[in-house]
Amino acid sequence: MSRKSERLVNLTIALLATKRYLTKTEIFTSIEGYEGTPETKERMFERDKDDLRSLGIDIEVGSFDPLFNDEAGYKIKQEKYQFELGDISSIEVSLLSLAAQAWQEASFGDVAQKALLKLRSIGIPSDELSIPATVHKLNDGGQDLSVITKAIAQSQRLAFAYLDSSLSVKMRSVVPIALSTRNSFWYLSGIDQEIQAIRTFRVDRISGSIAASDGPRDFETPPGFDSSKTLSESPTHDFAMIDVRVGKASSLRTLAISTQSVGEWDQITIPILNLDSLSSMVLWHGPDAFVQEPAELRDLVVEHLIALVENHG
Amino acid sequence: MVSKFSAPLERTARLLDLVPYISSHQGVSLKELAKLFKVDESQMTSDLTTLWMCGLPGYTPLELMDLNFESGFVTIHNAETLSKPRAITFEEGVALVLGLDLLRSAISPDRSDLLERIELLSQRLAGLIKLPSALSATSVVNQEVSGAIADALKSRMGLQITYHSLYRDEISTRIIFPIEIVESEGQLYLSSYCYTASDFREFRIDRIQGAAVQVVQREIPKKSVQQSRYTCTIKVLTPTRAVAERFKQSELQVNTAFDFETYSFQWIERSIMASGRALSLQSPPDVRNSIAVMAQTMLDRYKAR
Repeated sequence: MSRKSERLVNLTIALLATKRYLTKTEIFTSIEGYEGTPETKERMFERDKDDLRSLGIDIEVGSFDPLFNDEAGYKIKQEKYQFELGDISSIEVSLLSLAAQAWQEASFGDVAQKALLKLRSIGIPSDELSIPATVHKLNDGGQDLSVITKAIAQSQRLAFAYLDSSLSVKMRSVVPIALSTRNSFWYLSGIDQEIQAIRTFRVDRISGSIAASDGPRDFETPPGFDSSKTLSESPTHDFAMIDVRVGKASSLRTLAISTQSVGEWDQITIPILNLDSLSSMVLWHGPDAFVQEPAELRDLVVEHLIALVENHG
Repeated sequence: MVSKFSAPLERTARLLDLVPYISSHQGVSLKELAKLFKVDESQMTSDLTTLWMCGLPGYTPLELMDLNFESGFVTIHNAETLSKPRAITFEEGVALVLGLDLLRSAISPDRSDLLERIELLSQRLAGLIKLPSALSATSVVNQEVSGAIADALKSRMGLQITYHSLYRDEISTRIIFPIEIVESEGQLYLSSYCYTASDFREFRIDRIQGAAVQVVQREIPKKSVQQSRYTCTIKVLTPTRAVAERFKQSELQVNTAFDFETYSFQWIERSIMASGRALSLQSPPDVRNSIAVMAQTMLDRYKAR
């Protein structure tokens, strides 16, 4: 085991140091660790190449001299091997260190730790205390996050079972375009393949595992799509007018785009994202909230109230 | 977490990453290296011994890396080829981009110098890992609040907070002595002694609307007054996801009942109201009755309109 690691490190050093492509023959005669019959060496080398690639090390294959049909050669380009962040200041290293620390024990905690070690290895001292910010921990989104981010980068199609609002599980097929976190939940936005429209899903409502497959060809993110707005701004132009008692209903007030005082009550305007969840919020506030408009929302609230009276009488 | 790679590969990655770290931290202790790279000291010694055998073809002292670690402190020379840290992987890049985004929301808007740097770093990283700019993380916590909490915890001081209690639907001002930040079901809470309530309380940090450090007398009782819990019986009429999530029930079936424990009747009353036609509270009877009365009052108001 130790011999294998040693051979891989030596191979990396040699391929990084060489200015020209090294042929297999040169590799076998000069790099320590290649032993046995020609076939054994060949097999060892093929496996070593795959192993280094899986570690993210890019081995270039090229020809020693393009004019002759030479044996293929190998090398690793230094600029591809190393962490190229360009000129970087101590403040920037500090910012990145804080960014990595946000993960702590959450989904990308281990990888963030590795990124942090690489950052520190650049050799520029960081001073996190100079940054006036307290970073909160990112929430754990489980292993799904890495599947989703990979799919975003490669425009893959994701298939998963999703719990809808009536508690039934439906299969969804989505080409993801954004991942975001808000109020400690992770959200995935993408093009729902069945309806060809953008939909947003809460990651913890996905049941079971997510399957990734090749996405549609020539997939492009819809123009004008802004991931930071998928959750906060609605595509709708429908608004509700709700009376709330002065000093009450703070959670409805935080959604309001305007507030008008009418004596003991304030009249607030709220964009309607989802009629069911808004009626539920109104009901939560009991006699402290009263729907003025639209009729659709008022009817829904009244319908629930009738049922509540019947079911508790 | 289960490692993605086999042991020899995991080790190779560690060896490659050790060289740049030691190169930029000459004289680092073996103990610290072991801790940073999450292995024990004997494994670290064995790693360093292996590295000591590595170098450029030829493998004479001229080509081999020159490592020194007998004293317990590690130095490395003749390792220029590997002295730069390795490129970040896709996942490492994603972790940093999302972390930067969260950091952005924690920095005051008047530090545009820092915000610009974050933006540039984020773009550079996304470019390195070929990531479309579609990841975002925001913090819902007010950064003045989080700053004050951090200060109070560090200096063992008290806090004056304005807090929004969801089920009482009240904003109250309280004097508290913060003890620690705890996480529960994805939410952060500030576990504290509350002088206003004369008891221990947990405050959801995202509902603290304002906070300022304050001097308090530190004598706090050792034991909490036991809060009483109430059991409710709730009948399911229409299974919905909202009900399942609110009451943390993994399965809901029509016309079956489940028991639920709560510290607050107010919470249960509001939760049943919010669930509308989906649920019916069976017991306790007085809460059941007050729901019927409240719903009727509201209904009358809508009808009178």
